[in-house]
Amino acid sequence: MSAFWGGVAVILSLELRQRVRGIAWYVLLGVFVFLVAIVTVLLKLAFSFYPTGGEGVGDSGGASGGGAIFSAVIYFVLLLGTLVAPALSGTAINGDRDSGTLATTQVTLITTGQLLLGKFLAAWLAALAFLAAALPFLIYAAIQGGIDWATMIVSALVLIFELGIVAAIGVGLSGILNRPLFSIVVSYLVVAALSVGTLIAFGLGGVVVQSQVVGTERTFVNEPTDGSAGSELPVNPDAPMACGPPTVVESTVPRFDHFWGILVANPYVLLADAVPTQFDTNSYPVDLFGVIKMGVRSVQIAPDLHPVNDYCKDFAAGPNAKQIINSTAPGWAVGMALHLLLALGSLFWAYRRTRTPSGKLPTGTRIA
Amino acid sequence: MSDTQSFSGGIVVSGVRRAFGTVYAVRDVSFTAEPGTVTALIGPNGSGKTTLMLMLASLLRPDAGRIRIAGHDPLTATSAVRQAVGWMPDVLGSWASLSVRSTLETTGRLYRMDRMTAAARAAELIALVGLTELADQPTRVLSRGQKQRLSLARALVHDPEVLLLDEPASGLDPVARIELRRLVRRVAAEGKTVLVSSHVLAELDEMADAAVYIEHGVTASTDRVAGAKRSARAWRIRSSDLLGLEHALLSIGVAQAEITRDRAELLVAVGSETAAAELLRRIVASGLPISVFAPAVGDLEHTFLDLSRSAAAVSVTRAPITTMPTTSMPITSTPTDSISIDGDGR
Repeated sequence: MSAFWGGVAVILSLELRQRVRGIAWYVLLGVFVFLVAIVTVLLKLAFSFYPTGGEGVGDSGGASGGGAIFSAVIYFVLLLGTLVAPALSGTAINGDRDSGTLATTQVTLITTGQLLLGKFLAAWLAALAFLAAALPFLIYAAIQGGIDWATMIVSALVLIFELGIVAAIGVGLSGILNRPLFSIVVSYLVVAALSVGTLIAFGLGGVVVQSQVVGTERTFVNEPTDGSAGSELPVNPDAPMACGPPTVVESTVPRFDHFWGILVANPYVLLADAVPTQFDTNSYPVDLFGVIKMGVRSVQIAPDLHPVNDYCKDFAAGPNAKQIINSTAPGWAVGMALHLLLALGSLFWAYRRTRTPSGKLPTGTRIA
Repeated sequence: MSDTQSFSGGIVVSGVRRAFGTVYAVRDVSFTAEPGTVTALIGPNGSGKTTLMLMLASLLRPDAGRIRIAGHDPLTATSAVRQAVGWMPDVLGSWASLSVRSTLETTGRLYRMDRMTAAARAAELIALVGLTELADQPTRVLSRGQKQRLSLARALVHDPEVLLLDEPASGLDPVARIELRRLVRRVAAEGKTVLVSSHVLAELDEMADAAVYIEHGVTASTDRVAGAKRSARAWRIRSSDLLGLEHALLSIGVAQAEITRDRAELLVAVGSETAAAELLRRIVASGLPISVFAPAVGDLEHTFLDLSRSAAAVSVTRAPITTMPTTSMPITSTPTDSISIDGDGR
């Protein structure tokens, strides 16, 4: 077993020295740090306009902006990590084949499993470098206060997991597809399908499937003094207010509740959904994760197709964020399972294709 | 004794076949390379040499046939074969940003050497292939010939029992070629098995003990090789008195058609080594000044060219047989012909 990991370690260090280390890489990290710095400063500035210690939002740290900055930086790392990881991992195998170094590695005592695992770990570590570079800003946000330990740890873990997924898909595709450029493009398409495609599918699905709503409404009317038919406006100040007759209102609503499952596969939604939400005194989430979580959870609730709105009575307010989140189903575990399946599947497929002595070869492949 | 040796070591290949899609790269290859010898793998471009090398290096699965490398089957005992084989590919690939030294160290580590052993071995090989001055340069700055040397060093990292060299001399300068030849001979002298493919046949001539000829994915049979070796070949004779030499040759009984003039030398077709010796004796006896008397082409080249020629001849002579009934030949002779051919065959 230790011989196995020894081999993985050799491949890992080889990959990092060969692929990652370089001036371009440090420039990229520098640009990233610069962008995160700007985001942090702007968010801090934005939150400084809120009165601290005032009523409502200020109480649990929201006003100091710690939670907002933290979640924004985490999302930023996720965005850049998923954008950079395919470029780094997308040519791990077919790029080596092109430059004639794959076969010379495969004739050594390195097994295909060690090779793939080493390359995957290298790609993952490279993506995690962005998290490491963002660490000062995350610490700064933590110092600002108002962030729960659970939020910090869970969001970081999910981020690390998701970067691993993208790295694995990139390495897998570089083993499945022969041409480096093509495998990079497909890796990006996979990332785009998960990040943006799920949103589009969700939106289109909800808009296409609509339901008829037949609602009943009762509103106040001016009781006319002259016996003529009542009118809502303008209000006759002299006349007494009275309840009008119930009226039927027809409309349609998009049925997003049928499609919320699609969002489960979105890495940003998944991250927000997994993080335990902190609420302020108004039961409103303090950070970006919570806001997104509330949004995606509320679409699970089916619309009332026969609403009765009696404005004459003191009608009940809708459920607040805390109630919505507590009454709906978390989907992040399913999303993570799906991603894991996708990552392992592509790695396994790549393993089958890269194994030597190779049997069937796709046309146009040259081994060495 | 030699029987058990051929089973326990070296390379034993029998009936190996490999197709890519519908194209057969290797159709039927059988040969044996003994430990302690250098075997040349000779064939024209696209004859399946590299495909064969890939199968021997355990990278490619044969469709049929049997391969034994140092007694192991690449399909079932892959790691044993990899431990035993050093492979120098025909493609020059190197980790561009790694230095020569760390390339060799990393390769050693890939062969499960510990850090110290790998470093020591790398230093040894750098000196062996003459890359000392470039040891700490990234491999991307190396020239073609230098990369070739690095590739050779990489194949030797784990001190393999069987060495597969695919076009090792291409891109090497004359000095490096001589060093390569010396190195290959030394490796063989240590009891290792070496298989070398090259287009430079003259060079293989100087280092190979045996040769395997491969054409259209098929190894030439030993009979055909022996026949080709025996066939008439040109000998090069140089004399300051070229005119006198020609007269002497004619008077000895060499036909005019068998003499060709090549710059300041004459090429004479001679049937065998004995005939050549006899010819030389008679020219010298005639008192002519002879400064060069040598085969115009090397053994391997001669055999190779003769094999390709006879392969072409076979395909030419086959063609008329199918058209025979339509030619001017009497129809009655056809059955007799075929009977006599059958009779010869049996």
